[in-house]
Amino acid sequence: MTTPLSTPLSTLRWYGDLYLTMARMAIIEQFQYRAANYMYMIGMVAEPVVYLVVWSVVATQQGGEVGGLTPRTIAAYYIVWTLVRNMNIVFTPFGWEQRIREGQLSGQLLRPLHPIHYDLAFFAGWKVVVIVMWLPIAAVLAWLFRPEIDPRLSQVVVFAVAIWGAYLIRSMLLWMLGMVTFWTTRVGAAFDFFFTAELLLSGRVVPMRLMPDWAQTLARYLPFESTFGFPITALVGPITDAELVEGLIRQAFWIVAGSIGVALMWRRATKVFTSVAG
Amino acid sequence: MDTGGTVSAGESIVVDELGKTFKVPVREPGLRSAVTSLFNRKTKDVVAVDEVSFTINAGEIVGFLGPNGAGKTTTLKMLSGLLHPSGGRADVLGFTPFDRDKDFLRQITLVMGNRNQLQWDLPAVDSFEMSRAVYRIPRVDFVEQRDELIELLDLGELVSKPVRNLSLGERMKAEIANSLLHRPSVLFLDEPTLGLDVTMQRRIRSFLADYNKRHNATVLLTSHYMADVEALCRRVMVINNGSLVFDGDLEALSDKFADHKTLVVTLSEPVDLSDYGEVVDDSSPSRPTIRIGGDQAASVTSRLLAEQPVLDLTIEQPPIDDVIEQAFGVEVEAESEAPA
Amino acid sequence: MRLFLIFLRIGVMNEFQYRINLAVQLLQSLIAVGTGLVVLALIFQQTTTLSGWTQPELLVVMGVYTIVGGIVGFIIEPNMGQLMQDIRMGTFDYLLTKPADSQLLVSVRQFRLWALTDVVVGCIVGAWGLASMSATVRPVDAVGFVVFLGAGAVLIYCVWLLITTGAFWFVRMEMVQELFQGIYRAGQYPVSIYPTWLRTILTFVLPIGFAVTFPSEALTRRATVTWALVMIGFTVALFVATRLVWRIGTRRYSGASA
Repeated sequence: MTTPLSTPLSTLRWYGDLYLTMARMAIIEQFQYRAANYMYMIGMVAEPVVYLVVWSVVATQQGGEVGGLTPRTIAAYYIVWTLVRNMNIVFTPFGWEQRIREGQLSGQLLRPLHPIHYDLAFFAGWKVVVIVMWLPIAAVLAWLFRPEIDPRLSQVVVFAVAIWGAYLIRSMLLWMLGMVTFWTTRVGAAFDFFFTAELLLSGRVVPMRLMPDWAQTLARYLPFESTFGFPITALVGPITDAELVEGLIRQAFWIVAGSIGVALMWRRATKVFTSVAG
Repeated sequence: MDTGGTVSAGESIVVDELGKTFKVPVREPGLRSAVTSLFNRKTKDVVAVDEVSFTINAGEIVGFLGPNGAGKTTTLKMLSGLLHPSGGRADVLGFTPFDRDKDFLRQITLVMGNRNQLQWDLPAVDSFEMSRAVYRIPRVDFVEQRDELIELLDLGELVSKPVRNLSLGERMKAEIANSLLHRPSVLFLDEPTLGLDVTMQRRIRSFLADYNKRHNATVLLTSHYMADVEALCRRVMVINNGSLVFDGDLEALSDKFADHKTLVVTLSEPVDLSDYGEVVDDSSPSRPTIRIGGDQAASVTSRLLAEQPVLDLTIEQPPIDDVIEQAFGVEVEAESEAPA
Repeated sequence: MRLFLIFLRIGVMNEFQYRINLAVQLLQSLIAVGTGLVVLALIFQQTTTLSGWTQPELLVVMGVYTIVGGIVGFIIEPNMGQLMQDIRMGTFDYLLTKPADSQLLVSVRQFRLWALTDVVVGCIVGAWGLASMSATVRPVDAVGFVVFLGAGAVLIYCVWLLITTGAFWFVRMEMVQELFQGIYRAGQYPVSIYPTWLRTILTFVLPIGFAVTFPSEALTRRATVTWALVMIGFTVALFVATRLVWRIGTRRYSGASA
């Protein structure tokens, strides 16, 4: 078969077609499992509800406000949290061992496409299902907890972009983490440290503004906030337009850094893989 | 792009002293060694493929035989770019497989009987669609190739059922179709008929022969079933302990190495046939199986027909593993191919 | 009981082949508790009490939460997971042919010994909390604690088995484990902090309140006799109900597969 002629435009169209095709498959597949998906999502709602209640209680006890947040803005934060958390679900680093063992990786190596595209497209498709299924959950939570949310148009636009930026960054971070499996199989504890750091420094447990100053400074040099706290704050506020732009620039930086990291690590990882396993 | 000129016209695969040595970790039992092995791993070298050389022409179908663990899969993986050789050189269609050039990958396929590339929960057509996108197959060609494969493999409606609902054989056919959508000119097939029933094996065999003829594709095939090899391959290569020990015509292999044949005799009444050869199976007394020397087939058969109430008689070649076991004095046992 | 001991021994032997994993598990328990402690510290940076609970008292709650989590992970979760798989794969038939009570059998087949590291870590955190509390623990508090803890574990077991038994009717129930683990997190704090509707759910529908908050209340002198009786009555009633549903479920299963 002749190789299709490559121009930038045709390459772009090829990737577009590729992503649409694979995402469509993921949508069909995950829609079959909507009941299981729902159970999973409802189980996940418990975590933010706990945080929400705890911080609301604290705010009420402190005269209606903690660190500038009222119970109703806290409710808004943690309801948006549930969507961002779902956007953060990507291929788990624990899955790499199985992927290597069962030969899926070999299968992907035989095809003329970098395997990260399979994951990016598949989970992106799944996200479409998730967002649709999330809407009723958000409605119920909003009815129960009365969030206060009043975003400007710029906030809504940046939020819509930032959740996908968050998705991209976290995909690449966890891909790199998962690739450690190529060098050693005893990775569980390392993963746990990563996840704990992420939990505390992303804005997942508490909004970053409630963290001590040193932790906020530390978080500024790490990618975690870009994947979690930033998209939420972008919508919930308070945030200035300048801060919105700065957040997007940070995301862009981590996307570029992540792409370079994945590319470099992947090249070395395939060397290891093809010298011992195949 | 690597188009190194080592492949001359008509040659599809050129392998020159290709070798693969694995480093296998050695671990003693116990906690202490488990801990020390974290930091200081002891390894030993295992030679899986030892300086193998051969050339395969475009359009040839070659059977690749050998006991388990002989190095067949390792060789196929090196030729398809999944494994980096430790030494020697391989050229497939002018590419060095290990570079995994996209143009190389677009022209080959590797089918492994025990691997599954199809999306489990979706109909096979959806996986086909994905292959179309990945291999950048123009839509017109894709539809034509897909429909041709569905017809040749007799897949019909099966492609629109979720893969998880297909039988093993049906899934294998869908798997093969998916692997050939991009119309590769080099096919590496590792046990494509493993675990399938006889009808399904036959179907896949005739399909492969057909595909080879239509598209002048080069096929390198491993199988445990002699029937596969007999039906498809004029030429066979035998690998044992990582070394190529035979490369030539299939008939030459049987005549040279099989020192016995098996006769299944259907009799109108039970008779003891131990005068004619070693009775290996008399579980049904009127249909015994006897074993005779490889060169005695003609004489024993005519004696039987003349002296006994024979209704039917078939001569069978011994199973491929038996031939290899006898020829090379190796135990055929299930042993993993590579520390994958 | 003998059956229990035999299974326990096999479980222990299996696990000890992976002693290094034990260390990893201990590390994971510590990380989980450490994260909880960090969050507590953040909360008490802003306030001195949370719905009337002081920081040492919340340490006790966290200790109990971790202990109960350990018990669940040690015996309830592995057995229920296995049961779910058996029902789905059809291997449940073998169990019904064994000459023992089927409910007992499915409840004590498997053990995940590592999960006990959570019990150890939970005891340490709880003891730390008790030590920093001003009040001392009277014998009656200790007895109440043990009784409530036992009853709480039975309640969780019943609810989980009830949900799993649902697999006899609806095959796809794999996500139950995820769902439960998610909701169990609510037990990190006393249920009294939650709004009434949520508190009611967490007490009577998914009895995490009973299982975690009640034993903690005994230790912090909050328990009342009335509620103790309610809890014990509820436990007995739910256990009987579970047994009944199990009977119906297994009968339905053997009817369907025959």
